Amino acid sequence: MNEELDSQLSAMFDNELPAAECELLARRLSRDEELKGRWSRYAAIGATIRAEGGVRLNTNLAVRVNTAISSEPAVVVTKSVEIVREQPRRAMPRWLMPLSSVALAASVAAGAILFLRYESPTQVASQPAPATSGSQTLVANTAASPAAPDSYVVPKTLPRRSVVPSTQLANYVVAHSEFSSPVNRRNLLSAFMASESGTAGAPSGSDEPNEDVTDDAKTAH
Amino acid sequence: MSADVSDLSLVRRVQGGDKGAFDALVRKYQHKLVKLVMRYVRNPAEAEDIAQEAFIKAYRALPQFRGDSAFYTWLYRIAINTAKNAVVSRDRSPIEYNIDRSSDAAEESYDMQGRMKDSETPEGLVLTDEIRRTVNAAIEALPEDLKTAIVLRELDGLSYEEIAAAMDCPVGTVRSRIFRAREAIDRRLREVFEGGLGRTEDLG
Repeated sequence: MNEELDSQLSAMFDNELPAAECELLARRLSRDEELKGRWSRYAAIGATIRAEGGVRLNTNLAVRVNTAISSEPAVVVTKSVEIVREQPRRAMPRWLMPLSSVALAASVAAGAILFLRYESPTQVASQPAPATSGSQTLVANTAASPAAPDSYVVPKTLPRRSVVPSTQLANYVVAHSEFSSPVNRRNLLSAFMASESGTAGAPSGSDEPNEDVTDDAKTAH
Repeated sequence: MSADVSDLSLVRRVQGGDKGAFDALVRKYQHKLVKLVMRYVRNPAEAEDIAQEAFIKAYRALPQFRGDSAFYTWLYRIAINTAKNAVVSRDRSPIEYNIDRSSDAAEESYDMQGRMKDSETPEGLVLTDEIRRTVNAAIEALPEDLKTAIVLRELDGLSYEEIAAAMDCPVGTVRSRIFRAREAIDRRLREVFEGGLGRTEDLG
Protein backbone atom coordinates (compact mmCIF):
# COMPACT_ATOMS: atom_id res chain seq x y z
CA MET A 1 0.00 0.00 0.00
CA ASN A 2 1.21 3.44 -0.86
CA GLU A 3 2.47 5.11 2.32
CA GLU A 4 1.43 8.56 1.15
CA LEU A 5 -2.07 7.26 0.51
CA ASP A 6 -2.22 5.74 4.00
CA SER A 7 -0.99 8.99 5.47
CA GLN A 8 -3.76 10.81 3.64
CA LEU A 9 -6.27 8.27 4.90
CA SER A 10 -5.13 8.82 8.47
CA ALA A 11 -5.47 12.60 8.09
CA MET A 12 -8.85 12.20 6.43
CA PHE A 13 -10.03 10.05 9.30
CA ASP A 14 -9.22 12.96 11.60
CA ASN A 15 -10.93 15.50 9.32
CA GLU A 16 -7.53 17.11 8.78
CA LEU A 17 -7.09 16.55 5.06
CA PRO A 18 -7.52 19.46 2.61
CA ALA A 19 -10.87 19.43 0.84
CA ALA A 20 -9.43 18.84 -2.63
CA GLU A 21 -7.55 15.72 -1.46
CA CYS A 22 -10.64 14.57 0.43
CA GLU A 23 -12.70 14.54 -2.73
CA LEU A 24 -10.29 12.21 -4.48
CA LEU A 25 -9.73 9.95 -1.49
CA ALA A 26 -13.45 9.72 -0.67
CA ARG A 27 -14.06 8.39 -4.15
CA ARG A 28 -11.37 5.76 -3.73
CA LEU A 29 -12.42 4.89 -0.17
CA SER A 30 -15.98 4.18 -1.18
CA ARG A 31 -14.75 1.49 -3.64
CA ASP A 32 -11.53 0.10 -2.21
CA GLU A 33 -12.24 -2.69 0.30
CA GLU A 34 -8.65 -2.81 1.54
CA LEU A 35 -8.76 0.90 2.27
CA LYS A 36 -12.10 0.44 4.00
CA GLY A 37 -10.63 -2.32 6.19
CA ARG A 38 -7.81 -0.01 7.26
CA TRP A 39 -10.35 2.75 7.87
CA SER A 40 -12.36 0.39 10.10
CA ARG A 41 -9.30 -0.59 12.10
CA TYR A 42 -8.46 3.09 12.63
CA ALA A 43 -11.94 3.41 14.13
CA ALA A 44 -11.37 0.36 16.35
CA ILE A 45 -8.02 1.77 17.53
CA GLY A 46 -9.73 5.03 18.49
CA ALA A 47 -12.50 3.20 20.33
CA THR A 48 -9.93 1.18 22.26
CA ILE A 49 -7.91 4.25 23.25
CA ARG A 50 -11.10 5.93 24.44
CA ALA A 51 -11.81 2.78 26.43
CA GLU A 52 -15.33 2.54 25.10
CA GLY A 53 -16.32 -0.29 27.34
CA GLY A 54 -19.16 -2.53 26.30
CA VAL A 55 -18.69 -1.67 22.63
CA ARG A 56 -17.87 -4.68 20.52
CA LEU A 57 -14.86 -3.94 18.39
CA ASN A 58 -15.57 -6.86 16.10
CA THR A 59 -19.11 -5.72 15.48
CA ASN A 60 -20.80 -6.49 12.20
CA LEU A 61 -22.93 -3.39 12.49
CA ALA A 62 -21.55 -1.88 9.28
CA VAL A 63 -22.37 -5.08 7.39
CA ARG A 64 -25.91 -5.05 8.75
CA VAL A 65 -26.43 -1.40 7.82
CA ASN A 66 -24.94 -2.03 4.40
CA THR A 67 -27.30 -4.94 3.85
CA ALA A 68 -30.28 -2.89 5.01
CA ILE A 69 -29.61 0.06 2.74
CA SER A 70 -28.77 -2.12 -0.24
CA SER A 71 -32.50 -2.54 -0.74
CA GLU A 72 -33.05 1.17 -0.37
CA PRO A 73 -33.04 3.43 -3.40
CA ALA A 74 -29.81 5.33 -3.82
CA VAL A 75 -29.87 8.79 -2.31
CA VAL A 76 -29.67 11.29 -5.10
CA VAL A 77 -29.96 14.96 -4.36
CA THR A 78 -31.39 16.29 -7.58
CA LYS A 79 -29.78 19.28 -9.15
CA SER A 80 -33.18 20.88 -9.43
CA VAL A 81 -33.05 21.69 -5.72
CA GLU A 82 -29.86 23.64 -6.19
CA ILE A 83 -31.10 25.21 -9.37
CA VAL A 84 -34.27 26.34 -7.66
CA ARG A 85 -32.17 27.91 -4.96
CA GLU A 86 -29.97 29.61 -7.52
CA GLN A 87 -32.71 30.84 -9.81
CA PRO A 88 -33.51 34.03 -7.92
CA ARG A 89 -29.88 35.08 -8.13
CA ARG A 90 -29.66 34.33 -11.85
CA ALA A 91 -32.98 35.87 -12.84
CA MET A 92 -31.15 38.94 -14.17
CA PRO A 93 -28.40 38.46 -16.78
CA ARG A 94 -24.98 39.43 -15.56
CA TRP A 95 -24.53 42.05 -18.28
CA LEU A 96 -27.71 43.76 -17.14
CA MET A 97 -26.52 44.31 -13.60
CA PRO A 98 -24.44 47.50 -14.34
CA LEU A 99 -27.39 48.90 -16.24
CA SER A 100 -29.64 48.24 -13.30
CA SER A 101 -27.21 50.16 -11.11
CA VAL A 102 -27.29 53.07 -13.54
CA ALA A 103 -31.08 52.92 -13.64
CA LEU A 104 -31.21 52.96 -9.88
CA ALA A 105 -28.88 55.96 -9.70
CA ALA A 106 -30.91 57.74 -12.37
CA SER A 107 -34.16 57.10 -10.57
CA VAL A 108 -32.68 58.46 -7.35
CA ALA A 109 -31.44 61.54 -9.17
CA ALA A 110 -34.82 62.04 -10.84
CA GLY A 111 -36.52 61.66 -7.50
CA ALA A 112 -34.24 64.25 -6.00
CA ILE A 113 -34.93 66.70 -8.85
CA LEU A 114 -38.67 66.19 -8.58
CA PHE A 115 -38.43 66.67 -4.84
CA LEU A 116 -36.55 69.93 -5.23
CA ARG A 117 -38.93 71.19 -7.90
CA TYR A 118 -41.80 70.29 -5.67
CA GLU A 119 -40.21 72.01 -2.71
CA SER A 120 -39.49 75.28 -4.53
CA PRO A 121 -43.13 75.92 -5.57
CA THR A 122 -44.10 75.01 -2.06
CA GLN A 123 -41.93 77.76 -0.77
CA VAL A 124 -43.46 80.14 -3.24
CA ALA A 125 -46.87 78.74 -2.47
CA SER A 126 -46.22 79.39 1.14
CA GLN A 127 -46.46 83.03 0.20
CA PRO A 128 -49.77 82.99 -1.61
CA ALA A 129 -51.04 86.15 -0.05
CA PRO A 130 -48.97 88.60 -2.08
CA ALA A 131 -49.66 86.88 -5.37
CA THR A 132 -53.35 86.60 -4.70
CA SER A 133 -53.51 90.06 -3.33
CA GLY A 134 -51.55 91.29 -6.27
CA SER A 135 -53.95 89.81 -8.74
CA GLN A 136 -56.85 91.09 -6.72
CA THR A 137 -55.18 94.41 -6.73
CA LEU A 138 -54.89 94.39 -10.46
CA VAL A 139 -58.49 93.36 -10.80
CA ALA A 140 -59.54 95.95 -8.32
CA ASN A 141 -57.43 98.47 -10.07
CA THR A 142 -58.93 97.50 -13.39
CA ALA A 143 -62.41 97.56 -12.01
CA ALA A 144 -61.86 100.93 -10.49
CA SER A 145 -61.77 103.82 -12.77
CA PRO A 146 -58.49 105.68 -13.27
CA ALA A 147 -60.21 108.50 -11.64
CA ALA A 148 -60.30 106.75 -8.37
CA PRO A 149 -56.67 105.94 -7.51
CA ASP A 150 -57.45 105.92 -3.81
CA SER A 151 -58.92 102.49 -4.21
CA TYR A 152 -55.55 101.12 -5.05
CA VAL A 153 -54.71 98.71 -2.32
CA VAL A 154 -51.13 98.09 -1.55
CA PRO A 155 -50.81 94.47 -0.40
CA LYS A 156 -49.17 93.85 2.87
CA THR A 157 -45.77 92.37 2.57
CA LEU A 158 -45.74 89.07 4.34
CA PRO A 159 -42.57 87.69 5.78
CA ARG A 160 -40.73 85.63 3.21
CA ARG A 161 -38.44 82.82 3.89
CA SER A 162 -36.40 82.80 0.74
CA VAL A 163 -35.86 86.44 0.00
CA VAL A 164 -32.11 86.53 0.31
CA PRO A 165 -31.26 84.25 -2.61
CA SER A 166 -33.78 85.99 -4.84
CA THR A 167 -32.12 89.32 -4.19
CA GLN A 168 -28.86 88.02 -5.50
CA LEU A 169 -30.65 86.46 -8.40
CA ALA A 170 -32.47 89.70 -9.08
CA ASN A 171 -29.23 91.62 -9.11
CA TYR A 172 -27.83 89.15 -11.57
CA VAL A 173 -30.85 89.33 -13.83
CA VAL A 174 -30.92 93.10 -13.70
CA ALA A 175 -27.27 93.29 -14.52
CA HIS A 176 -27.77 90.82 -17.31
CA SER A 177 -30.72 92.68 -18.68
CA GLU A 178 -28.52 95.68 -19.33
CA PHE A 179 -26.75 93.67 -21.96
CA SER A 180 -29.63 91.61 -23.22
CA SER A 181 -31.84 92.46 -26.12
CA PRO A 182 -34.83 94.69 -25.51
CA VAL A 183 -37.22 91.90 -26.34
CA ASN A 184 -35.78 89.69 -23.67
CA ARG A 185 -35.55 92.59 -21.32
CA ARG A 186 -39.21 93.22 -21.51
CA ASN A 187 -40.42 89.94 -20.37
CA LEU A 188 -42.34 89.29 -17.26
CA LEU A 189 -39.54 87.65 -15.40
CA SER A 190 -37.24 90.59 -15.87
CA ALA A 191 -39.93 92.84 -14.64
CA PHE A 192 -40.52 90.71 -11.60
CA MET A 193 -36.84 90.50 -10.86
CA ALA A 194 -36.46 94.22 -11.33
CA SER A 195 -39.22 94.84 -8.84
CA GLU A 196 -37.56 92.40 -6.48
CA SER A 197 -34.28 94.23 -6.82
CA GLY A 198 -36.03 97.44 -6.15
CA THR A 199 -37.59 96.23 -2.92
CA ALA A 200 -34.42 94.55 -1.84
CA GLY A 201 -32.43 97.69 -2.15
CA ALA A 202 -30.70 97.01 -5.40
CA PRO A 203 -28.61 99.76 -6.79
CA SER A 204 -30.81 102.17 -8.61
CA GLY A 205 -28.19 103.30 -11.01
CA SER A 206 -30.18 101.97 -13.88
CA ASP A 207 -33.65 102.95 -14.77
CA GLU A 208 -34.39 99.92 -16.83
CA PRO A 209 -36.16 97.94 -14.09
CA ASN A 210 -38.44 100.85 -13.45
CA GLU A 211 -39.09 101.05 -17.11
CA ASP A 212 -39.99 97.40 -17.15
CA VAL A 213 -42.31 97.81 -14.25
CA THR A 214 -44.00 100.62 -16.09
CA ASP A 215 -44.34 98.55 -19.19
CA ASP A 216 -45.71 95.60 -17.23
CA ALA A 217 -48.15 97.85 -15.51
CA LYS A 218 -49.27 99.10 -18.84
CA THR A 219 -49.65 95.59 -20.04
CA ALA A 220 -51.69 94.72 -16.99
CA HIS A 221 -53.89 97.62 -17.68
CA MET B 1 -9.37 23.85 8.09
CA SER B 2 -13.01 22.89 8.32
CA ALA B 3 -13.62 20.38 11.08
CA ASP B 4 -15.96 18.32 8.95
CA VAL B 5 -14.37 18.47 5.52
CA SER B 6 -13.73 14.76 5.00
CA ASP B 7 -17.11 13.72 6.37
CA LEU B 8 -18.70 16.25 4.09
CA SER B 9 -16.90 14.89 1.06
CA LEU B 10 -18.23 11.43 1.90
CA VAL B 11 -21.71 12.82 2.48
CA ARG B 12 -21.66 14.53 -0.89
CA ARG B 13 -20.74 11.26 -2.51
CA VAL B 14 -23.66 9.52 -0.79
CA GLN B 15 -25.94 12.32 -1.94
CA GLY B 16 -24.69 11.62 -5.44
CA GLY B 17 -25.83 8.00 -5.14
CA ASP B 18 -22.63 6.35 -3.83
CA LYS B 19 -23.67 3.91 -1.10
CA GLY B 20 -20.06 2.86 -0.54
CA ALA B 21 -19.32 6.29 0.88
CA PHE B 22 -22.06 5.82 3.46
CA ASP B 23 -20.46 2.51 4.42
CA ALA B 24 -17.26 4.44 5.21
CA LEU B 25 -19.21 6.82 7.43
CA VAL B 26 -20.83 3.90 9.26
CA ARG B 27 -17.46 2.22 9.82
CA LYS B 28 -16.03 5.43 11.18
CA TYR B 29 -18.81 6.24 13.63
CA GLN B 30 -20.28 2.86 14.57
CA HIS B 31 -18.37 2.53 17.85
CA LYS B 32 -19.10 6.10 18.90
CA LEU B 33 -22.77 5.70 18.11
CA VAL B 34 -23.16 2.41 19.97
CA LYS B 35 -21.39 3.93 22.95
CA LEU B 36 -23.75 6.90 22.78
CA VAL B 37 -26.86 4.72 22.63
CA MET B 38 -25.61 2.70 25.58
CA ARG B 39 -26.39 5.71 27.76
CA TYR B 40 -30.03 4.77 27.22
CA VAL B 41 -29.87 0.98 26.99
CA ARG B 42 -27.39 -1.15 28.86
CA ASN B 43 -27.54 -4.06 26.54
CA PRO B 44 -24.83 -3.90 23.82
CA ALA B 45 -26.87 -5.93 21.35
CA GLU B 46 -29.88 -3.67 21.78
CA ALA B 47 -27.64 -0.64 21.49
CA GLU B 48 -26.35 -1.98 18.19
CA ASP B 49 -29.91 -2.49 16.95
CA ILE B 50 -30.77 1.09 17.81
CA ALA B 51 -27.56 2.35 16.24
CA GLN B 52 -28.39 0.40 13.11
CA GLU B 53 -31.83 2.00 13.00
CA ALA B 54 -30.27 5.41 13.51
CA PHE B 55 -27.86 4.86 10.63
CA ILE B 56 -30.69 3.80 8.33
CA LYS B 57 -32.74 6.84 9.33
CA ALA B 58 -29.73 9.02 8.66
CA TYR B 59 -29.28 7.46 5.24
CA ARG B 60 -32.90 8.15 4.36
CA ALA B 61 -32.65 11.71 5.65
CA LEU B 62 -29.39 12.52 3.89
CA PRO B 63 -31.08 14.36 1.00
CA GLN B 64 -32.15 16.95 3.56
CA PHE B 65 -28.66 17.27 5.07
CA ARG B 66 -27.22 20.60 3.94
CA GLY B 67 -23.99 20.58 5.88
CA ASP B 68 -25.02 23.41 8.17
CA SER B 69 -23.75 21.36 11.10
CA ALA B 70 -21.09 18.67 11.31
CA PHE B 71 -22.23 15.29 10.05
CA TYR B 72 -21.59 13.61 13.39
CA THR B 73 -23.57 16.29 15.24
CA TRP B 74 -26.48 15.61 12.91
CA LEU B 75 -26.07 11.85 13.28
CA TYR B 76 -25.77 12.26 17.05
CA ARG B 77 -29.20 13.93 17.22
CA ILE B 78 -30.80 11.21 15.13
CA ALA B 79 -29.29 8.52 17.36
CA ILE B 80 -30.43 10.23 20.56
CA ASN B 81 -34.00 10.54 19.26
CA THR B 82 -34.00 6.96 18.04
CA ALA B 83 -32.75 5.71 21.40
CA LYS B 84 -35.32 7.72 23.34
CA ASN B 85 -38.14 6.45 21.15
CA ALA B 86 -36.86 2.90 21.53
CA VAL B 87 -36.84 3.19 25.30
CA VAL B 88 -40.36 4.64 25.34
CA SER B 89 -41.75 1.96 23.05
CA ARG B 90 -40.00 -0.74 25.08
CA ASP B 91 -41.49 0.61 28.29
CA ARG B 92 -44.96 0.59 26.73
CA SER B 93 -44.66 -2.99 25.54
CA PRO B 94 -46.41 -5.65 27.62
CA ILE B 95 -44.31 -6.96 30.48
CA GLU B 96 -44.03 -10.69 30.83
CA TYR B 97 -44.29 -11.62 34.48
CA ASN B 98 -42.72 -14.82 35.68
CA ILE B 99 -44.08 -15.60 39.14
CA ASP B 100 -41.72 -18.49 39.54
CA ARG B 101 -38.68 -16.26 39.54
CA SER B 102 -37.51 -13.41 41.69
CA SER B 103 -37.12 -9.94 40.15
CA ASP B 104 -33.34 -10.27 40.12
CA ALA B 105 -33.53 -13.54 38.29
CA ALA B 106 -35.97 -12.03 35.75
CA GLU B 107 -33.61 -9.10 35.12
CA GLU B 108 -30.71 -11.46 34.66
CA SER B 109 -32.78 -13.51 32.26
CA TYR B 110 -33.62 -10.37 30.29
CA ASP B 111 -29.96 -9.43 30.05
CA MET B 112 -28.99 -12.88 28.87
CA GLN B 113 -31.74 -12.85 26.25
CA GLY B 114 -30.50 -9.47 25.08
CA ARG B 115 -26.93 -10.64 24.84
CA MET B 116 -27.87 -13.77 22.96
CA LYS B 117 -30.27 -11.96 20.67
CA ASP B 118 -27.43 -10.91 18.45
CA SER B 119 -24.58 -13.04 17.25
CA GLU B 120 -22.73 -12.52 20.49
CA THR B 121 -20.71 -15.70 20.51
CA PRO B 122 -17.99 -16.56 22.99
CA GLU B 123 -15.56 -16.32 20.09
CA GLY B 124 -16.76 -12.79 19.43
CA LEU B 125 -16.24 -11.76 23.02
CA VAL B 126 -12.74 -13.24 22.96
CA LEU B 127 -11.97 -11.34 19.77
CA THR B 128 -13.05 -8.03 21.30
CA ASP B 129 -10.83 -8.68 24.30
CA GLU B 130 -7.97 -9.70 22.03
CA ILE B 131 -8.30 -6.52 19.99
CA ARG B 132 -8.24 -4.41 23.14
CA ARG B 133 -5.20 -6.16 24.51
CA THR B 134 -3.34 -5.91 21.23
CA VAL B 135 -4.09 -2.22 20.75
CA ASN B 136 -3.16 -1.36 24.32
CA ALA B 137 0.09 -3.34 24.07
CA ALA B 138 0.93 -1.67 20.75
CA ILE B 139 0.32 1.77 22.24
CA GLU B 140 2.57 0.98 25.19
CA ALA B 141 5.32 -0.07 22.78
CA LEU B 142 5.13 3.20 20.83
CA PRO B 143 7.87 5.84 21.10
CA GLU B 144 6.77 8.58 23.47
CA ASP B 145 6.16 11.25 20.80
CA LEU B 146 3.95 8.92 18.74
CA LYS B 147 2.05 7.76 21.81
CA THR B 148 1.44 11.32 22.98
CA ALA B 149 0.25 12.40 19.53
CA ILE B 150 -2.24 9.55 19.07
CA VAL B 151 -3.57 9.84 22.63
CA LEU B 152 -4.03 13.60 22.35
CA ARG B 153 -5.91 13.01 19.13
CA GLU B 154 -8.09 10.02 20.04
CA LEU B 155 -8.57 10.46 23.75
CA ASP B 156 -8.60 14.23 24.11
CA GLY B 157 -9.98 14.96 20.65
CA LEU B 158 -7.49 17.73 19.91
CA SER B 159 -7.01 19.02 16.38
CA TYR B 160 -3.65 18.71 14.66
CA GLU B 161 -3.04 22.40 15.24
CA GLU B 162 -3.74 22.07 18.95
CA ILE B 163 -1.50 19.04 19.20
CA ALA B 164 1.23 20.91 17.35
CA ALA B 165 0.98 23.72 19.88
CA ALA B 166 0.99 21.28 22.78
CA MET B 167 3.98 19.33 21.46
CA ASP B 168 5.75 22.39 20.08
CA CYS B 169 6.20 21.00 16.58
CA PRO B 170 4.83 21.69 13.08
CA VAL B 171 1.39 20.44 12.08
CA GLY B 172 2.98 18.26 9.41
CA THR B 173 5.00 16.48 12.09
CA VAL B 174 1.82 15.83 14.06
CA ARG B 175 0.16 14.35 11.01
CA SER B 176 3.18 12.11 10.43
CA ARG B 177 3.38 11.00 14.07
CA ILE B 178 -0.30 10.10 14.24
CA PHE B 179 -0.08 8.20 10.98
CA ARG B 180 3.02 6.26 12.13
CA ALA B 181 1.35 5.46 15.46
CA ARG B 182 -1.73 4.13 13.69
CA GLU B 183 0.39 2.10 11.29
CA ALA B 184 2.33 0.51 14.13
CA ILE B 185 -0.86 -0.42 15.98
CA ASP B 186 -2.59 -1.57 12.82
CA ARG B 187 0.33 -3.86 11.94
CA ARG B 188 -0.08 -5.67 15.25
CA LEU B 189 -3.83 -5.73 14.81
CA ARG B 190 -3.59 -7.37 11.40
CA GLU B 191 -1.30 -10.04 12.81
CA VAL B 192 -3.98 -10.91 15.33
CA PHE B 193 -6.60 -11.37 12.71
CA GLU B 194 -4.50 -13.06 10.07
CA GLY B 195 -2.48 -15.29 12.35
CA GLY B 196 -4.96 -15.92 15.12
CA LEU B 197 -8.64 -15.63 14.66
CA GLY B 198 -8.40 -14.72 11.00
CA ARG B 199 -11.53 -12.62 10.86
CA THR B 200 -10.42 -9.32 9.51
CA GLU B 201 -13.76 -8.89 7.80
CA ASP B 202 -15.44 -8.70 11.22
CA LEU B 203 -13.95 -5.28 11.70
CA GLY B 204 -15.93 -4.06 8.76
